[in-house]
Formats: sequence, structure tokens, C-alpha cells
Amino acid sequence: MSKGKVLVIDDEDIVLKSCHRVLTPEGYDVKTAKTGEDGLKMLEKKPFNIALVDIKMPDMDGIEVLRRIKGKWPQTRVIIITGYSTIATAVSTLKLGAYDYIEKPFTPDDILSVVKEALGQEVKKDMNYP
Amino acid sequence: MRMELKRITYSLMGKLILAIGASIIIGSMILGYLMYRNQEAGHIKEIVGFGMSFTELVKKSTRHGMLHYDVEEIQRTIEAIGTAEELKKINIFDSKGKIAYSSRKEEIGTTLTLDSPVCTPCHIGVSKPKTTRSWSISRDEEGNRVLNIIQPLYNEPSCYSAPCHAHEEGKMVLGLVDADLSLYTHDMGLKKQRIVIIAYIVSFFFIISFVIFTIIWRDVSIPIGILTKGMRRIASGEPYHAVRIDTKDEMGELARTFNYMAEQLSITKKELIEWGDTLEKKVEEKTETINRAQAQLIHSAKLASLGRMAAGVAHELNSPLTGIVTFGHLLQKKFSEGSEERQDIDVVIEQANRCSNIIKGLLGFARATSAEKGFLNLNNVINSSLNMVRHKADFFNIKIVLNLDEALQPIKADASQLQQVFLNMIINAADAMDGKGTFTICTRKVMDNGEPFAEVEFTDTGHGVSEENMTRLFEPFFTTKPVGEGTGLGLAVSHGIIQEHGGKILVKSKVGEGMSFFVRLPFHEG
Repeated sequence: MSKGKVLVIDDEDIVLKSCHRVLTPEGYDVKTAKTGEDGLKMLEKKPFNIALVDIKMPDMDGIEVLRRIKGKWPQTRVIIITGYSTIATAVSTLKLGAYDYIEKPFTPDDILSVVKEALGQEVKKDMNYP
Repeated sequence: MRMELKRITYSLMGKLILAIGASIIIGSMILGYLMYRNQEAGHIKEIVGFGMSFTELVKKSTRHGMLHYDVEEIQRTIEAIGTAEELKKINIFDSKGKIAYSSRKEEIGTTLTLDSPVCTPCHIGVSKPKTTRSWSISRDEEGNRVLNIIQPLYNEPSCYSAPCHAHEEGKMVLGLVDADLSLYTHDMGLKKQRIVIIAYIVSFFFIISFVIFTIIWRDVSIPIGILTKGMRRIASGEPYHAVRIDTKDEMGELARTFNYMAEQLSITKKELIEWGDTLEKKVEEKTETINRAQAQLIHSAKLASLGRMAAGVAHELNSPLTGIVTFGHLLQKKFSEGSEERQDIDVVIEQANRCSNIIKGLLGFARATSAEKGFLNLNNVINSSLNMVRHKADFFNIKIVLNLDEALQPIKADASQLQQVFLNMIINAADAMDGKGTFTICTRKVMDNGEPFAEVEFTDTGHGVSEENMTRLFEPFFTTKPVGEGTGLGLAVSHGIIQEHGGKILVKSKVGEGMSFFVRLPFHEG
């Protein structure tokens, strides 16, 4: 019985690998996609609890993916992976419907805590909020 | 020669002389002619009158003889009269055309026919003859003029009632007195008179011409020459010289007016030249300003593109870094604290974090997103920045002087970003001063190219920066500090922030004496 279904959408292999490597031993069912299109196709096939979406991708922009996911699968919580954020960008992604965001580079702890929170399995810690 | 003639006819002098000369000559000629005719008529009247009275005198002086029919007396009288100088001859005809008495004895007895010149004046054609006196002027054999008087001897009561019974009552004309008077002396006198008049007229003409010539020459031609020369001088660009014509007439007036005009022109010319120079200078200045602005723009553009490239690289680096950090951590957990493997992994993770910091710094410099701007007082930001570092060891021996303008109006800016900039300035100053010296912060309002700016000045007494390093100061990763100390991003990031606010950072430095940073921010939205 998995703790949750996590879909990671990022054009970089290493990011997909890292997420998979960290989350799977913890009991999460992790699937990866290299483009937004592929990710959405996978969502069509079966639902996911969490979607980790890179904000900057060559084909479909992360924001667009976020919108589509929120449009079609509102119960899937989206976490945006950003490169460098300010409060402004954070607020805007949240306004667009993202549940949370995480900055690269992230540690295994960072990933785990944000996923756990999104799945309501842990109380939110005052980490990224100034 | 033709040219000279032409010039003369065109010149004022020439025209005047020609016009006046022609008028005088023609006028004199007409006048002379009229005078001549008038004179002639008058003279003729005179001499005819004289001739008539002379003939009357003849009649009167022979009357006694005629009344007594004393032929010898009459002849003697006639002969005596005939000796008069001007008298060429005098005949007395009877009613039949026969010369009865004459100053020329040989002509006595000659009969003239009706067609002779003596008779024709009265005996015109077949009609009844004229019974008036007549006269005529002819020329004698020497060509001199002769006046001929013919006076009829009219029948009077004393004549036909005389005891000699020579004449009947019914006859009107008893005979003729025919006198020829020489006009020679008279004509001579006339001729002399005419010559004198002509002489007078000619000399009059010459005198008048001379007078006019002199006046025109002196009062018109010469001043005009002076004026023309003066005008040419000024036209050829020579500096202003007054034209000297000091008369009180129109020429003097003209000269004075011309001088005034020339003076004004020369003043205007000077002003124009000065203005031209000023313009040139202004153009030079403006060109320099524009060139500087352009250089600055290029510099900024370079920095901006550098920033964009840096941002791109930074973003790219984030992903591999994620891998390193993530797997590094995973490895880390596998080894126990204190083990050599754990320490090694720690080093790896530490360097990965350092990479991350560098990237964050770079992205901060390149950031083009709008900051959170609000109205703030620069002085407050300065104070809060200072307070953050005031108590640090670096500032222990540094004298801090504050010169903040209380009246400085608030500006619109991002407080945390400005703080980042100010901190950067403060820390740089501390590093440069090596822990001792004076650090001055001033705030003031300045005008930059006509626009108001709020200026914060950071002056330290540190080692300063050389001319060549000054141009590279805001380059990313440029630093004069030894390797490992500082990323060289502080000023680059500060520059980016200030520029994003619409301001600028100016630098002044002297090696060994110190350095000044002037952070200028606009008062309205940047």
C-alpha cells in the first residue's frame, strides 16, 4: 500500500532521478514524465495525488501544465519546482493554484517534507515563508 | 576710347555737363536767333524811320525851291544833301517818270519805265497805283545793304495855286522822291554787336559749366568716391572705419547715416561671430554629453546581456546541482558521524551549497522582475542597515560620520533591496579600510540633467581603487580581494538593483586616499 501517487514532470533527467530515488524508498509510488504533454497523458490514464512540476520547460511551460492539471484534475495537488524564487513569484504560483513550491537545488529532506505536507501527513513547518 | 566715352556718358558729371551744355547751347541758339530777328525788326523800323524823316527833310528843304519853281535852288539843295555820308543818291522824279533833279547830275533827264524797280512798288499791274510811301532794302554792287525810300510828292493847295502854274489842281501826285541810303555802317555796327553777344553767351556757357563742374566735382563726385571706397572696404571685410565727409549738406548726411549703418553692421557681425563660437562650443559640449551617455548605455547593455547569460547559465546549473545535493545527502546518511567517508561527503555537499550560493547571487544580479516598491525614507534604511553591522568587529575602530538631510523627501523603492545595496556599500568600505579610518554617509537632494534625485554618499578612507579597475567595478565576479574572499557579485547585484529602480551609482576614488560611492535614486517612479 503506497503512501501516495506522485507524478514528477521535469525536462532534466537528474531531477526525475533524484525525486524517484528519494521518494520511492519512503513508500511513494513515483512516476516520471519529461514533458508536460507526457505528464498530462499519464494523468489521463490514472489519477495522482501529487504532481511535482518544473516551472521552466522547453515545450510546455510549467504554469500551463499547472493550469491544465487544475482544470482537469482539481484533486491533484501541484507543487512547482523553481530555480530561484522571490516572494512575488511564490505568491503568483500559489495564486494560480499551486499548493506549494520548492527551490532547486533541494535536499532529500526538502522533497520529503513538502510531499508529506501536501498529502496532509505532516503539519506544515515554518520553512519557506519569510 | 569708346569705353571712356561710355563711362563719361554714364557718369553723373558727364550726364549733367552734357545736359546743361546742350540746354545752354540750344537755348542760346534759340535765344540768339530770336534776339537776332527781334533786333533786326527793331533796327529796320529804326532805319526806315530815319530814312523817312530824312526824305521828309529833303522834301521840306526843297519845298521853298519847288514853290518858287527855282530849278537851280532845288538842284543845289539836292546836291548839298547828296554829300551826306550815308546817302548814295537821291532822285526827284516828275509825274512822268523822268528824273528832274538828282544828287548825280548825270542821271538828270533819265526816264524810267513803269516796270523798273523804282516804280513797281506802287505801280502794281494795271490797277491804280499805290499812293503811299514805300521802302525796300537791296544790295548794291559791293554786296552792302542799301535802303531805298520812295516818297510821293503830294499836290497841295500851295503847290497848284503857285504863281508858276506848273501843276494842276486835279493831280494827286506831282512826283517822287527816291532816296538810296547806305546801310553799311549800320550793318557793321550790328555785326559787331552780334559778335559781342555771341562772345558773351559762349563765355557764359563756359563759366557756368566750370562753376557747375566744380561744384559737382567737389560736393558730389568726390564725396561719392569717398563713400564708395568706404563701402568697398567694409564689403571686403575690413574692420569698421568711419567715412569722413563733414559737410552739412545731403552728402554729409549720407556719410553720417552710412557710418551709423556700418557701425551697426560691424557690431552685428561681431555678435554673430561670438554667437557662432558659443554655438560651436555648445555643440561640442552636447556631443560630448551624448557620447558619454551612449558609452554608458552600451556599458549597461553589455552588463544586461552578461546578466541574462549568467541567469541562463545559473538556471541550467540548478538541475545538475540538485542531483549532486540530493545524492550527496543520500550518501551522507549512509555513513556514520565522524567517519572519514562522512567527512568526505560533507565536503562534497558543502561545495555544492557554495555553488548554489553563487548561482543565487548571480540570479539576483540578473533579476529583471519588479521589486516590491513602497514609499520609504532613505535615512531610515541607512540607519537600519548600519545598525545591522555597527556592532561587528570590523567597525570597532572605524569612525562613522552621518550627514543625513532630514528634509529629504521619501522615494518609492524596495526596502529590502535597498538595504542589500547599502549593506554591500558598508561592508565594502569596511574591507577597504582594513578596520580603521573614517566612514561618512551623507544624504542629499541633487539635480542630474535637470531631474531631481535623492543621493546617498558612502565615503571611506580606505585604499581606494585604480583608474583601470574603476571601469570593471560593477562587473560580475570582479573583485580585488584575494581568492576565496567574496564572490565579486556584491557591486554587480547592487548595480542591478539600483538600475532597476531607475537610478545610478557613481564612483570617485584616489588610490591610497579613499573611495566614494554616490547612489542616486529618482523621486518619481523609476
